Amino acid sequence: MQYLNLTIDDIRKALDNKEVTSDELFNEAIKKANYYQKDYNSFVTILDNYEKVESNSILNGVCYALKDNISTKKILTTASSNILKDYVPVYDATVYKKLKESGAVLVGKTVMDELAMGGSGTTGHTGIVRNPWDITRQIGGSSAGSAAAVALGIVPFAIGSDTGDSIRKPASYSGVVGFKPTYGRISRYGLFPFASSLDHLGCFTRCVKDAAYVIDVIKGHDDKDMTSLNDDNKEYSKSLDNDIKGRKLFYIKEALECDDNNSELKEIINNFKQTIEKCRSIGFEVDEISIDNKLLEALYPTYMVISCAEATSNNANLTGISFGPRPLEKNVNDLIFKARTTGFSELIKRRFILGSYILQKENQEKLFLNACRVRRLIVDTINKLFDKYDGYIMPSMSSIAVKFDEKENQVSNKNFAIEHLLLIANFGGMPSISFPCGIVNNMPISINMTSGAKNDELLLNMAYKVEEVLGYKGINRGDDNV
Amino acid sequence: MIKKEKLQEYAKKLMFDMKDEEYETLAKEFEIITKKMDIIGEIDNLDQIQPMTFPFPLENVSLREDVASNTINIEDIKVNAKELENDQVKIPKVVE
Repeated sequence: MQYLNLTIDDIRKALDNKEVTSDELFNEAIKKANYYQKDYNSFVTILDNYEKVESNSILNGVCYALKDNISTKKILTTASSNILKDYVPVYDATVYKKLKESGAVLVGKTVMDELAMGGSGTTGHTGIVRNPWDITRQIGGSSAGSAAAVALGIVPFAIGSDTGDSIRKPASYSGVVGFKPTYGRISRYGLFPFASSLDHLGCFTRCVKDAAYVIDVIKGHDDKDMTSLNDDNKEYSKSLDNDIKGRKLFYIKEALECDDNNSELKEIINNFKQTIEKCRSIGFEVDEISIDNKLLEALYPTYMVISCAEATSNNANLTGISFGPRPLEKNVNDLIFKARTTGFSELIKRRFILGSYILQKENQEKLFLNACRVRRLIVDTINKLFDKYDGYIMPSMSSIAVKFDEKENQVSNKNFAIEHLLLIANFGGMPSISFPCGIVNNMPISINMTSGAKNDELLLNMAYKVEEVLGYKGINRGDDNV
Repeated sequence: MIKKEKLQEYAKKLMFDMKDEEYETLAKEFEIITKKMDIIGEIDNLDQIQPMTFPFPLENVSLREDVASNTINIEDIKVNAKELENDQVKIPKVVE
């Protein structure tokens, strides 16, 4: 009998009824993690022991995985980069501390795109992560291994980070739930920064209810993170079943005007239209609204400018002196030069050079500050709609998971794609959740729901109700015979 | 197209180098990205908008008292030090 492919409620019940012990669950997780590692490469580190903790939390004894950019004292934490390949943190991230106190059991640290800068799951220093639905396809990133570990039933939940779409994209590509709450809802203390004004922590689960359970444990104010919000003192898992009759959603008309020759996208959009009808059938009011195409086309460049600029500055501390391998050179300059030349992959260097270009004195006003202005324009436009609506609903992605030979790491020529809408929630710090809504060409597709900042409770409540009518709750790709 | 020398200058400032073919890829990428970035400038009346640096006003911006609250002990610190002498981390000479 396997337990880790069940919901958290069912695992809790099995633990409380003494059908299974936390030791047995840990062994099940380790066995599965090792079994799938060769094919899927979810983990940088698989642990071999854990400490038992007394706690009444629903997560006590439940196994999970952490993305490898989250500090874990005495446990290797590499951010999937050669420049940190031997780094062992000296303190715990707040999110890890909270999970430890709850008694949740860490199984391992997951592979990601290097330094969280990438969306393919192919740039980690220990190799590519493969999609559990089709080994020839990417799982998406950057929180690739966390998504794979949940999709394979190795763990019922995993923690990831999301700066542009890094939880919601891999969740969509692998048929699991990906949720990032409001900016500051979960402390970022101990998360390696990528772009501090856009970085969020969040979780992967196989149903919305489990996401609520996890966030209930890891949210809350933290003095160690000055962007941390005051706690809203709510238990999201208790209000999932609230009545949603009359709740108002919108979707963006321009985003659905697809290229007629793309049959896969047509199927995704048809599925979305059926999803909308299902939402209406349970009491949602759903309206079509229009947004200026210029703003939609500005989403991606705005993200590139802000994220690359912030990343270039944030990662200036990776020098080979304080952390990571230190090359043997006779002076400090040569040492840093060599550490960074050999420690960063090509993609990271390209992003840093772009960031440096954006931050040059002559470009700051035209590029960086104008991008920050467009960010406000986009956020204000959406927030104005949230005066009338409780949230928006859109397909998460414009395609199923792409094949490895499709050039994911190159910048696309397209000015707008549906997935660019995921960036809005990072610009505005809004809670945003993606969850499965269908199968196209034997691969999962998903929808995204996003609400106004600090409306996490309502968003989870609405997503829970929509998930109920879609019928894809709890799907996973684990092998029952492992 | 942006010149390779210019890209090398940025890379040097960032204290790393790349291979020749990587600079070529980057130069091509710059073409696409700078075109995309032009879209930002096409939006009307940008000069009247305040740049947004955080998603919403921060709730807790007061500075804490200047009292040590979060310390890391020396034994822990040593874990990542490559070379130690009398509990001090050794690095190459800064002044030659």
